[in-house]
Amino acid sequence: MKPPQAGIVAVVDDEESIRETVAFALKREGYSVETYADGASAWSAFQKTLPGLVLLDVLMPQMDGLELCRKLRGASETLPILFLTSRDDELDRVLGLELGADDYLCKPFSMRELMARVKVLFRRVALLGRPPASEADVLRVGSLLLDFERYQVHWKDAPVALTVTEFLILRALVRHPGHVKSRKQLMDEGYPYDAYVSERTIDSHIKRLRSKFAQIDPDFEAIDTVHGVGYRYRET
Amino acid sequence: MGRLRRFFSRISIRLLAFNVLLVFLPASGVHYLDALERLLLEAQERVMVQQGRVLAAALSERGVLKAAYAEGILVRLRQQTEARMRVVDPDGRVLADSATLGPLKAPRPPGETGESGAPATETRANPAYRLGAVFVQAYQRFIEPSPPLPELDGEDAPSSPQILASPEIREALSGRYGARTRSSPGGVRSLTLVSALPIWDGDQVVGAVQVSQSTFRVLNAIYPIRLGIFRVFLASVGLAAVLSLVVSGTIARPLRRLRDEATALLDRRGRIKGRFGGSRRRDEIGELSRSLQELSRRLEDHVRFIESFAADLSHELRNPLASIRSATEVAAEVESREERERFKRIVEREVARIEHLLGGARELAQLDARLETEARHPVDLRELLTAIVEGYRLRRSNVANVANVANVASVASVALDMALGTEPLLIVASSDRLTQVFENLLDNAISFSPPDGRVAIQLTRAHKVANVAILDGGPGIPQGSEAAIFSRFYTYRPGTTKSAESHTGLGLSLVKAIVEGYGGTVEASNRLEGGAVFVVKVPLA
Repeated sequence: MKPPQAGIVAVVDDEESIRETVAFALKREGYSVETYADGASAWSAFQKTLPGLVLLDVLMPQMDGLELCRKLRGASETLPILFLTSRDDELDRVLGLELGADDYLCKPFSMRELMARVKVLFRRVALLGRPPASEADVLRVGSLLLDFERYQVHWKDAPVALTVTEFLILRALVRHPGHVKSRKQLMDEGYPYDAYVSERTIDSHIKRLRSKFAQIDPDFEAIDTVHGVGYRYRET
Repeated sequence: MGRLRRFFSRISIRLLAFNVLLVFLPASGVHYLDALERLLLEAQERVMVQQGRVLAAALSERGVLKAAYAEGILVRLRQQTEARMRVVDPDGRVLADSATLGPLKAPRPPGETGESGAPATETRANPAYRLGAVFVQAYQRFIEPSPPLPELDGEDAPSSPQILASPEIREALSGRYGARTRSSPGGVRSLTLVSALPIWDGDQVVGAVQVSQSTFRVLNAIYPIRLGIFRVFLASVGLAAVLSLVVSGTIARPLRRLRDEATALLDRRGRIKGRFGGSRRRDEIGELSRSLQELSRRLEDHVRFIESFAADLSHELRNPLASIRSATEVAAEVESREERERFKRIVEREVARIEHLLGGARELAQLDARLETEARHPVDLRELLTAIVEGYRLRRSNVANVANVANVASVASVALDMALGTEPLLIVASSDRLTQVFENLLDNAISFSPPDGRVAIQLTRAHKVANVAILDGGPGIPQGSEAAIFSRFYTYRPGTTKSAESHTGLGLSLVKAIVEGYGGTVEASNRLEGGAVFVVKVPLA
């Protein structure tokens, strides 16, 4: 198996129209694109060469997205995986520590949003392991350290594996500790290019954020719920 | 008021009231004891008057009253009667008194002279009797006040042992019959009846006979009867209460349980969260509870069906929506006219798919109602299948001339073999629905068949069931998906594009719903020689 080939995006979806349009848009952005209609054929191709980034549908015939994601994680810890899903039932498993996907977008998604995520994910991989170039790219609040450049988060010096969306939401909260952010504000930060995301998805993002921090530090409670308004990062 | 009304509308209370009303009927017998008492007292008075008359007659023969003679008669009489008899002269002086004539030869029963006796006291002291008396007194006082007792004379006891001047004596001495009722000494509720008769000598009153007797004996006889009735009454009330409790336990309590289960069935937002527990009782309430259990179970199933249907549909709609959104977004940034046309076609295709999906979903959702209301007639499966296959052949020869789409080309080239037997097989159903079933299965079989493949339709009879088997030579069903292919929106078409608009993933689930609506089954499996076989079994008419 060849290591991930930067610049190659694999699109695995059983919807022909989605494969066609996403591939078209990615090519316009300058990426090379491979498309697969089901998990099995994708996996047999990946066994020869891993792509640089994988866009995955959750529900597919012949090995679904979850199964493929698990296999890909076994092959590479760092390969960015982004889910395109029409069902949010399985999301907690996909995005939790179990499968550790890097991000997801709900169908119908905004193409600009998808392109922006792909860009961020590639950058995150590229800068992985390198020390931050300047302190200006880093924000420290108490035990929390945010690296804006690499989209990485550390809590008490331990890395926290956040999806890009979770990172964007946390960044919005941490920029002004003690200030309450409404769901709408967090949504605009989390999905800068997509105006159609439901406000309630913020709640599940916050829930996952908290549980990911709690995995590292069971006493973590820096994110407050302000009932009827939104959320707040606690000043320390 | 409302609370009171609610209280009395409870079944257990009504049962109790009903039972208690029934036991009041014997209790009202007490009322008739009063009549009996009156009769007995009248009889007693008559007897007293008779005795007085006899005594007066005996004495009047002698002309002038002699105390000794009168005493002699009284001594003899005394042994025979319980009444106290006194003889007075015209001045009211007592000549003889049966009560002062020394001891009796035989011991007399107590209370004979109008004084209270032990048995009566015992009866009246009985707690049950006292309790009864409270009710009776209250009844008499408030509901039916008895006429005031005849006026009691102030001097009920003789003014002196020697001289009697009570009114009845005065009346008798003046030649008339005198009678009085006095309350007896001793604080008992009994009365003393007193009657006085003149003793005549010719037309001259030479004295008077006074006969007095306590009503105690009569009352004493009635008290135990009263007490007996009251005891029966108390026992009946107790029994009625116990019976009501038992009956209410077997009727009202299970009903209350049903009510509680019914209230707990839905939560505040109207979602089903509980269910009826059902009961093994064999009475009507048991039946009710079992039907409610069945009802809630079916309701739950139905709600779950609707919820999952909605979720499935919304999921299924998101895919074409995603395609449309991506395609329009991309198309907006594309300069080349050719490319734009390409995305426009994607949008059109996906819009058609949404329409298809919604149509299929509506059909599936309305199927239950249709199966319920549609008229069912005996349909000959052999005839029906022949007609369907003829239709296919006709269409094929038509499209063969204009064939330009791949899908249609395969339809045109697939051969249809029929083996329908010779005898007609009748089932009761709507022929429209049945046509839908077999057309769906045939479409499915043809679409999976390779070009120039063969699809066979076999009709056989097994006992009381008609078997229709549809066999194809396609790729078969993925291992383990034999049941899943009938679930809603299941689509698996290797080698074909999913967005092919005619495949909504609803066809087979529609087939299954219709066949099961007619009490049949449909199963899919793979053939050993390759390809799939779908077997529909429907009970014969």
